[in-house]
Amino acid sequence: MAEEIRAEMVANVWKVVASAGDTVDDGDTLVILESMKMEIPVIVESAGVLKELAVHEGDVVQEGDLIAVIE
Amino acid sequence: MTVTEPAIPAPDSAVPPAAAAAPPALAQSDRDPENRLRSLFDLGAMRLLAPPDDSGALAARGQIDGAPAVAFATDATRMGGAMGAEGCQRIVDAIDLAVRERIPVIGLWHSGGARLAEGVVALDAVGQVFAAMVRASGRVPQLSVVLGPAAGGAAYGPALTDIVVMSKEGRIFVTGPEVVRSVTGEQVDMERLGGVEPHGRRSGVVHVTTSTDADAIAKARAVAALLGDQGRFSPDDVSVESEEENLGSLLPQQANRAYDVKPLVGRLLDQADGENYVELHAKWAPNIVTALGRFAGRTVGVIANNPLRLGGCLDSISAEKAARFVRMCDSLGVPLVVVVDVPGYLPGVGQEWDGVVRRGAKLLHAFAEAVVPRVTLVTRKVYGGAYIAMNSRSLGATAVFAWPTAEVAVMGAAAAVNILYRKQLAARPAEERDALRAELVAEHERAAGGVNRALEIGVVDEIIKPMETRRRLAEALAAAPAARGAHTNIPL
Repeated sequence: MAEEIRAEMVANVWKVVASAGDTVDDGDTLVILESMKMEIPVIVESAGVLKELAVHEGDVVQEGDLIAVIE
Repeated sequence: MTVTEPAIPAPDSAVPPAAAAAPPALAQSDRDPENRLRSLFDLGAMRLLAPPDDSGALAARGQIDGAPAVAFATDATRMGGAMGAEGCQRIVDAIDLAVRERIPVIGLWHSGGARLAEGVVALDAVGQVFAAMVRASGRVPQLSVVLGPAAGGAAYGPALTDIVVMSKEGRIFVTGPEVVRSVTGEQVDMERLGGVEPHGRRSGVVHVTTSTDADAIAKARAVAALLGDQGRFSPDDVSVESEEENLGSLLPQQANRAYDVKPLVGRLLDQADGENYVELHAKWAPNIVTALGRFAGRTVGVIANNPLRLGGCLDSISAEKAARFVRMCDSLGVPLVVVVDVPGYLPGVGQEWDGVVRRGAKLLHAFAEAVVPRVTLVTRKVYGGAYIAMNSRSLGATAVFAWPTAEVAVMGAAAAVNILYRKQLAARPAEERDALRAELVAEHERAAGGVNRALEIGVVDEIIKPMETRRRLAEALAAAPAARGAHTNIPL
């Protein structure tokens, strides 16, 4: 079952760490956001394959925007 | 008004209780109420309060991890656990017994709600169960374990109690999928309507979710033992950590890097075989962590900002989650440890419209009202309104400690300088601006931020090293008079 990872808050995409096709595990970092003057990693909560990465470095994400899809 | 003597007595320390043996694990989907109750109590320690019958409920008393407790179970083998007058009276009696003896009461739920055949009589009986729960609220710990559907009236039973544990097969909803479909046209199954995912992550109805019935029972046992036998502080047993390897090692090197606070919570508390704390509402409002564990030998409640989620910001839901936890702990006489690393309240239209002011006020109210010993530790930073909300000195904290590198301010120095010196900065040529800004930031930190200024003003009582943190917190908690708030625990 595909799991969508969405932004929890408005943020800048500071670094993209993973790439599409990667095998990811619970706790792995996908991208690092920058918001509230903090670097906030976006973490995977279930193991799987990163099917889609919807953001690029420098993007601005709004709350609820799609960041990645894990399968 | 306060009750100075904790109403839940610690067992007489001169007579150590016989080593409690854990019961055999409950088989998944075993619907027999007697088996379910037996799995909750120590091996051989359960006594039924009345023989099994067709009333629809069964109640028992016994020991959990050596501490006395009462429990009841709805009988899923009879009419799906539907609640009638007789069964409800049994539940009311069990709750009243727990209140008289000042011991925890645990409900095992699997019920479709009121018995249709009994009509309004059953509704009245279910209402009496609710009334008994509210009478007991704040006087004895009340736990619920939801092992099957808990629908209609049976949904509000667990919701009125202090802590709700739900197994994967558990379902809580007011109206089932059939009614939802006929009234609103929405197609939804029971699991999506009221299973562990919606209640663990979205609604906040459930505090702890588990993948099996046996795990749900195990969690309820752990919480019942923590709340039923709270122990006493022994700060002398807490050793100072080493210079090289201590609580501070768990913070990242860069001040602006987010991290998971849970390892720090785990390390702060007493170590145990396996998990040493029970986290409540782990997936709901995860930007604040609420957990029960033992510290220096005594049960405490821990509240910690989690920078990994939303940067650790306080927001509407997390303030409400923390407020309910503070009030529960205060009403049950559980001291609090508050671990602070918070950049402020989350800004946004959504937050304001969601009532961040109303819900944030609950947290201020809860802390200011609390009479249990409660200490605060500022690890990295505390800015703005969140400073007040996180058990500040002004709200009556027993003691506020900070690590030497902590920052206490209205906002971060860089942000403050950009506002305070906007004109001066704009007047300078662009190439000189960064140098001036750095100078002003350093000056501002000296004058307004920095932990030393907070110490001078008296909003921080003491600056302590990470390595001595456990010892100092334990001493401060142990030195404060034991107290317990005289109020109920309304499910905020």
